[in-house]
Amino acid sequence: MPRTIVGTRIRQQRHEIGITQSDLARRAGISPSYLNLIEWNKRAVSNRLLQRISEALGVPAETLDGAIERRLHDELLEIAHLPAIGSSGVEADRTDEMIGRFPGWSRGIAALAKAEQQSFRSAQILSERLSNDPYLSEAVHRMRSRIAAVRSAANILVEYDDLTNEQVSRFTSIVAEESTALSHAGEALTNYLDKAEGADRILTPVDEVEALCEQRNNRFEELERAVEAVETDFEDNGPTSRIDIARARVADHLQGAIVSLLEQEDIIKSAAAHKRARDLLSDYAISAILMPDEVFKTKAREARYDVEALAQAFSVSVDRVCHRLTALPLSDEFPKIGYVQANAAGTIVQMHNLEGLQLPRYAAACPLWVLYRAQQSPETVIRQRALFPEGARFVFLARARHVGVSGFGRPRHYLIDMITMTEKDAQQTVYAPDASVPLEEVGPSCRLCSRVNCVHRVEDPLS
Amino acid sequence: MSKRVLLAEDEPNIIESITFLLERAGLAVSVETDGRAALDAVQKDCPDVLILDVMLPSLDGYEILKQLRADVNCVELPILMLTAKGQREDRETAFEHGADLFITKPFANAEIVAAVETLLEGRKSV
Repeated sequence: MPRTIVGTRIRQQRHEIGITQSDLARRAGISPSYLNLIEWNKRAVSNRLLQRISEALGVPAETLDGAIERRLHDELLEIAHLPAIGSSGVEADRTDEMIGRFPGWSRGIAALAKAEQQSFRSAQILSERLSNDPYLSEAVHRMRSRIAAVRSAANILVEYDDLTNEQVSRFTSIVAEESTALSHAGEALTNYLDKAEGADRILTPVDEVEALCEQRNNRFEELERAVEAVETDFEDNGPTSRIDIARARVADHLQGAIVSLLEQEDIIKSAAAHKRARDLLSDYAISAILMPDEVFKTKAREARYDVEALAQAFSVSVDRVCHRLTALPLSDEFPKIGYVQANAAGTIVQMHNLEGLQLPRYAAACPLWVLYRAQQSPETVIRQRALFPEGARFVFLARARHVGVSGFGRPRHYLIDMITMTEKDAQQTVYAPDASVPLEEVGPSCRLCSRVNCVHRVEDPLS
Repeated sequence: MSKRVLLAEDEPNIIESITFLLERAGLAVSVETDGRAALDAVQKDCPDVLILDVMLPSLDGYEILKQLRADVNCVELPILMLTAKGQREDRETAFEHGADLFITKPFANAEIVAAVETLLEGRKSV
C-alpha cells in the first residue's frame, strides 16, 4: 500500500477543525512558510514535529502518518481471506479504494471480524470448560443424581396404589427435599456459567495486556518516575544478585504504583489479564531498577544500542536489554525499536512496538525472517537487512537463548528474541548496515506478500 | 429363597427408592454406601446381582469392578453399573472393566427392575 501523504492529511485535518495555517504553525512552533511546505508534501516531517503538530490539532499522530490506515488495510486483506468469507467475491484488490471511500464501513468490518474471532474463542473456551471443568462435571453429576431421586420417588407415588401412609409421606418428602436441592444446584450452575462467560467475553487476557502496551507505546512513564523514587544501592547488599535485589525492591515498594496504574486503565478488565499485567509491569519495574531511565538512555546512546555491550554494562541478560530498548520514549533522539519473541515452534509469544511491521493475526509470518533461523546459531546476535516487497527496509536482530534446565544429555530448548528497527533508525546504532551487507527479500506473510515467485510461498497472495 | 441384590450407592434417597422397587419385585436387598465396604461385602458373601454406583467414597466403582473381575470367585458375578456419568467414554470404561449392564441416572423405575431381572436370568441385554 502506498504510504499516505502526511502533509495532505495535516491540511485536511486543519481544515476540519477550522484553524488557519499560521495558527497551527504558531501552536506547533514552526514558521507558517515551513508548515506550508509540509502541507504541500514538499518537506518531510520528523517524528518529533509530527507529534507536536498532532498535539496542536488534537488528533493522535497515527491519524496523520497513515499508520492506522495501513493497519486497517492489512486487517481487511486478512479478513478477505477468512474461510467464512469463502467465495463471496470480495474485491481484495480494491481494499485501498474501499478504505478511502468508506473509512467508517472499513473500520466497522474490521471491528466485526475481531468481534467474531473473539466470540469464536469464547465459544471454544466455554466448550473446553464444559468438557474439562471439574466444578461443572461435579455439578452436572450432582444434578443428575438429584433428578434420579426425584423421578424415582415421584414415579413410585404414581405407580404403586397400595403404599402405606408412612411410605406415601416418606416418598413425598424425598420429592420435596430433592427438588429443593435441585433448584439450588441449578441456580449455582447458572451463576457459575454467567460468571465464566463474563470473564472471557471481551478479549483473552493476552489480548488485553497487549492492547495496554500498544496504547502506551510500551513505555510506562509513571512507573519510571516511581522507580526513580525508590533508592536502590546494589553495593550494599553483599552477595545477593542484582536481579534479586531489584525483584525485592519491586515487591516491597512498587506494587502500589503498579496497582494504581492499572486502576486507571479501562482496557484491563478480566482478573486473569490483571494478574498478567501486574506480572508484566513488575518485570518492567525490575528492568527500570537495573537500567534506570536516564542512565540507560545515555549508555544506550554511547554504546550505539549494542544489546550485548549494554547487557554487560548493566549485568543483565540480553533479552532484558531488548525489552528495555522498546521502552525508550518516542522521539527523534532515539531509534524506534520493536520486539518480537517466538518459541521454537515459531509461535509469536510476545510483540511490542511493531509499527509498520504488521505480524499477521490469523496466519504465520514470513519464514525468511531471521527470527526463524536464529536457532541455527544459538546465543549469537544475527543481523538481517530486510527488504519488504513495497520497498520498506528494516534491520532485524535475532538471538536464540537457551531456556529451562541444562545439563549433559538433556534436550535444549530455545526462545528467540528479535528487535526490529527501520534501516533509517538503525543508522544511530552499531547495527547500521553498510552497502556491502546484502539486502534479503522478505515479506509480511504469504497472504500479504506480492512476491509471486518466492520458493517459500505456502499460500496465494490476497490481491 | 429370594435372590439377593447388593446395592452399592451413597445417595440415601436413591437407596430408599431402589430398595423399595427391588423388594416389591421379590428380591432381598442389602446396601453398602462405601466403596471399600462394598468390595469386602461382595468378596465375603457373593450376592446374586451387584448394583454398583461409580462415584463412591474410598474406592470408585471402576476400581471395584476391576478387583472383582480379577477375583476368581467373582468373575461371573452379574454387575449393573448405575451412574450419573453418562458420557460415551464412561459407558466404554464400564464395559472394558467388565460391567454386564450400564444404566445412567436419572433412570426409569421399570428399567432398574428389568435390568436386575435380566441379569438374574443370565441374559446380558434387556
